[in-house]
Amino acid sequence: MKKSEPLSESYYYILLCLAKGANHGYGIMQMTEELSKGDVKIGSGTMYGATSNMMKKGWIREIVSDGAGFERRRQYQLTDSGRDILRAEIKRLKRMLENAEEV
Amino acid sequence: MANKYKYSFALHSAWNYQNEVEELDKYSENGWQLVKAALFHRKYVKNEKIRYRYQLDFRRIEDKGRYIETFREQGWEYVDSTINGWHYFRKIYDPSLPEEEYEIFTDRESFNAMKKNWARIALVIAIFGGIMALIYGIKLIMVPSVPFLLLFLTFLIEFSVLFRGVLIMRAKESKRKRNRYRDSVLITVFFLTIILGTSSGIFLSGKRPNITVNRIPEANEESVNNERIADFEVKYPDNYFLDLGIESKDPMTFEVVNENGESVYKVTDTSFHEDDIRLNLKKGTYYFSMSCDTYYNLNCNIN
Repeated sequence: MKKSEPLSESYYYILLCLAKGANHGYGIMQMTEELSKGDVKIGSGTMYGATSNMMKKGWIREIVSDGAGFERRRQYQLTDSGRDILRAEIKRLKRMLENAEEV
Repeated sequence: MANKYKYSFALHSAWNYQNEVEELDKYSENGWQLVKAALFHRKYVKNEKIRYRYQLDFRRIEDKGRYIETFREQGWEYVDSTINGWHYFRKIYDPSLPEEEYEIFTDRESFNAMKKNWARIALVIAIFGGIMALIYGIKLIMVPSVPFLLLFLTFLIEFSVLFRGVLIMRAKESKRKRNRYRDSVLITVFFLTIILGTSSGIFLSGKRPNITVNRIPEANEESVNNERIADFEVKYPDNYFLDLGIESKDPMTFEVVNENGESVYKVTDTSFHEDDIRLNLKKGTYYFSMSCDTYYNLNCNIN
């Protein structure tokens, strides 16, 4: 695999929030805030741009739930290549942390 | 009860679009709520019971449903879009919420991507203006005249203003000072200049005489003496350009004569071919005149 660019904070958190299963934009936003204890926020413009881009790259896909009684709602799901990207990024971040501890 | 409406016509430059956001917030504070946003005007309805905060986004939307939903999820109501791709959102204002609740871009990457999006489209239009300025610049050097000067200047202004905008929008940091009041005036002047410049350029080039005369020899043609062969009208003083071709056995005299009977251009020759002869003509009526003893062949055009 080609060495990829580091992910932006928003991209990273969106992928991370989808790691355990599909979620909608608002869920991603809330989960990001919880995980980062309010340090990272994903505004609507940032969210739309990031999800559009990652769908184009094939890292995530859109699924529309239309179960009875529920509001028709769009959710995002991680693809296999999205999972690979996330794993590679986590590895990179771990290495950077380990390096920091060594110094 | 009839709704009370209000319109505003202020233009804003894309690179100072935050001025527009502030203006919309101000309108909302004063009880005027945006209902429609277009390129040149906006429409508001009176409602003092509510106060909104606005945000603008620029992009080409592939999936409008998903787009609007992504914003709605965080309390943003979609209001309207302009034809060139600016989208207007608003959120009910709650003074207890932190200021960042009213931001739609929460990282520099996405904010820069939005600005670059605009810059990419504007660059295409700027380059088009640049090419047109170049074309009319070359024409102006070859055949200097008022319509070409107007079109050249108009496209040059279009190019410079938009290109400057592109550079501003592509700049990573935007710590520039925004000129809150002058921007709107400058952009209005810019648009008027573009509209007036191109329309008057096209209008004036349509007002130029475009007279073509082709005389081919006929058998035993009688000699002609100062024959008035075509009239034309000059509607505004400028350089006009004459293409002239003469072939004749005996010397032929060709003249351009003004309404006082004075010759403004004269040539006597048996063989003469020249294009774009520059004549500086005043407003008035003119005619072509020719004299020749024998067989002749004449082509001329003025515009």
